Parts: sequence; structure tokens; C-alpha cells
Amino acid sequence: MSHGRGLRLWHALMVVCALLGASGCAQVRAYQRERLTDRIMSFKAEAREDARLTKSFEAREGSTGGNGGAGGGCACN
Amino acid sequence: MQLKPTRGVLVLVTGLLTLTSRPAVAAGLEFDEQTAGPMFRYFADSDHVGVKSYMADYNMTLPSQVGMSMHWNTEQVTIPAVHAPVGSQEAVDAITTASRPISGNAYEDFVKVRNEFQGGVTRGPAELDYYVSNESDYLAQQIAGRYDLDLNEQLNLSFGSSYGWDDIEPLADDDTQTGPSTKTTLHMNAVATQVVSSTTMVRYGVEYNVVEGLQHNPYRNVYAGGTNVPERHPEHRERRDAFVKLNRFFDNRSSVRLSYRLYNDDWGIVSHELSSKLSQYITQGMFVRYQYRYYTQTPARFYRDEYLTTNGVDGYLSGDYRVGPLSAHLFGLSLNFDLGTMASSMPVFGRTALVIGYERYFNSNNYSADFLETGLDFRF
Repeated sequence: MSHGRGLRLWHALMVVCALLGASGCAQVRAYQRERLTDRIMSFKAEAREDARLTKSFEAREGSTGGNGGAGGGCACN
Repeated sequence: MQLKPTRGVLVLVTGLLTLTSRPAVAAGLEFDEQTAGPMFRYFADSDHVGVKSYMADYNMTLPSQVGMSMHWNTEQVTIPAVHAPVGSQEAVDAITTASRPISGNAYEDFVKVRNEFQGGVTRGPAELDYYVSNESDYLAQQIAGRYDLDLNEQLNLSFGSSYGWDDIEPLADDDTQTGPSTKTTLHMNAVATQVVSSTTMVRYGVEYNVVEGLQHNPYRNVYAGGTNVPERHPEHRERRDAFVKLNRFFDNRSSVRLSYRLYNDDWGIVSHELSSKLSQYITQGMFVRYQYRYYTQTPARFYRDEYLTTNGVDGYLSGDYRVGPLSAHLFGLSLNFDLGTMASSMPVFGRTALVIGYERYFNSNNYSADFLETGLDFRF
């Protein structure tokens, strides 16, 4: 794949992200979020495992990233 | 060699004092929740490189939305001796492309120890971290900050940045003489986490890195113009990626996570990463997780197996497979036990979790690796 095509794909993905952010979602009340806070759903619970794997991949591959650096919120408040 | 962290420690101490300096906290000193856990990880690959990692984590939450975290890791890395007959072409190839110093005797194992510490403090939506890693020829330090913003009940935005500075002092090497050098990394990211429904969450974000300084392995050589010469990578690199992750919970008490990441940089590498995780409760407090990851990348513009002249491509030379064409697969399996729910009659196991995991990685360069890890989490 050419570098130019990669750039176009990257820009396209950012547009998709922007559209996702702008899109409206069904209102989910706090009492409806039991499943979202389950251990098997939590982004935060997997962060440590993801960081270890990313470090292993970075030592063997030419790319980096995918974890959002220091992390992100849970959108649970 | 004495490579000592200084600036980072000052920044962390200042941050700790600033973020935790509230009279109520100082007077109360009541811990809302604390977690701690040791973990052991073993890595072995098809080149017979072995890494043993001994880790420990500690987190505590104080009143007034203040939290602190610490992470330690001590690793022992063993890079094996060259096993080919002395003077053979196979031995010359192994020595030339070795990612270790060859000083005096290439036919002995090279063993080194790496120590790592990460400390962080959070207060409300803000977080500050300091990281240091030290080994015989490398000292890495980093400060990082993050701010979370709840736009509404459905959407959280997070903005993060970090600055890392590395001091590199290659050990004595018979066929490469790279002097002391430095590397800096400036990182920025923006991440959104969105609740889509009562069973679905999505996270997406973009990241940007600017790296300056020594970015090649100082011990590696590459064949060029009929001889072998030290590798040389550009000293400037801009790296960016965008990713999206989708988590969905199903009625049979399982969840699926799908993720995709697109990466490119100004060296010409473009990569795609697709991964999936399936987590399934087997009983209350015990779940199994299956994982698969596919990865592919294009090579850097200057990458070659062998160069016609010692000038390489635009003055740069690299035969390092990490910047070459590559595809890779990873399969993983882990078991997570909440010992408190499984052995409620035994208080000693209350609020304790155990994880056991195995991962198998292999790529298009006939390289494979196994990861094995086990750890405990105590909540008190």
C-alpha cells in the first residue's frame, strides 16, 4: 500500500470518528449501565493487559499506538 | 555507567504535592479503596531470547477524588550466544545482525536487567504520571498528563500528552562504534468514549508522536557494497494513528470487543491492526477470554535486505525486520478467577482475583514467540 493511500485512509477514519462523536445515541440512564460496568466490558480493566501487549508488539513491529496514550474516561458518570 | 533520573522525579513530586494538597485529605487520610497485585510474565521466542518479568502494582483511592498508582517491573533479558561454527557464514550473519553488543566473545549468552517504575496521581478529571526505565545502556524517562471531560452522560473526551527523553550509551561493541546519544518523544492524543446503548460502548481516538534522535539499534549492521556497515535510521520521525474499539455485552453473559487501528509515519510505514476478544463467564466470578490479532505493515522507504553501496537509500540503511514488510498473528487465551466468589467460605481468598494467560505470536519472518503470565489482584 502506498504512503498516499495510507494518508487518505487515516483521514477517512478521522472523519468516521468525528461522525460517531456527532451522532446521537439512545439515552442510557445510570441504572441501565450495570452491564457496561461489568469486568468483561471495561476498557479500564483491560488497560494494563493492553499496555503490556503493546509494549511487546512495539519491540517487534514498526508501528505504535492504539491505546490512547495515558488512557481515557469510561463515559460512566 | 551512571544514568540517573532527576527531572522526572522533581516533576512527579511537584505534581503529587499539587494534586493532593487539600487540608481535608491531609487530615483524613482515609483510603476508600486499595488494590495491589504481583504478576509474573515469561517470554520465549524462536531466536531463544528469554525474558522474565516480575511486576507489582499498587493503587489507592483517597477521598476528594484523589488517587495514586505505582507500578514496578524488573526484567531479566537473556539473548543467546551464537551457536553457528566459528568463522562460518552463518556465524558472520548472526553476529552482523545481532541486537546485542558483541564484545570479545559472541559465543556466550548476553544477560541484562531492566528496572522500571511508573507512578501517577489523579485528582478528579486530571492525571499526572512519571515513568522511568533503566538498564545498562539505556535510561528512559517520561512525564505524561491527561484531562478527562464528560461532555454529557453519554460521551467522555480525554486529552493526553507526554514527553519522553532517553539517554543511550551503547556498550562496547567490536564491529559497531556508536557513541552516546539521546532521543526525545512528544506524544499527543485525543480519545472519545461513547455509550451507544445499555450493552454497547465505543472508544475511538487519534494519536500523534514526534520522535527526535537515535532511532536505530546501535549494535546492528547491514550488508552494503559488499561489506557490512552500521545501520542508520533518520533522526526525525512523525508517527500517527487512529483507532476504534467496540465493546458489546450479550445476554449469555459474554462480551465481544472488536478493534481496528490504522497507522502511518513519514518513513513510509503504513500498518493495519485488527483484533477481537471474546470474554465468556463460565460460572459466577470466573470467565475465559479468547483473543485473536492480525497485523500487517509496509516497509520503510529505506529498508533493504542488502544495499548496492554504503550510501544506502538517501544516506539511510536498515535491514531490521521491524521496519521491513511484515504480517503477524496472535492467538491468546486467559482465565480469570474471582477467588472471593469461588471460595466464599475461605476468607483468605476474599477480594482476591487470579489471572492466568497464554499468548502465541508468529509473523511472516518465520519468527514466533510465546507469552505466559500469571498474577494476583488483592482489593482491600
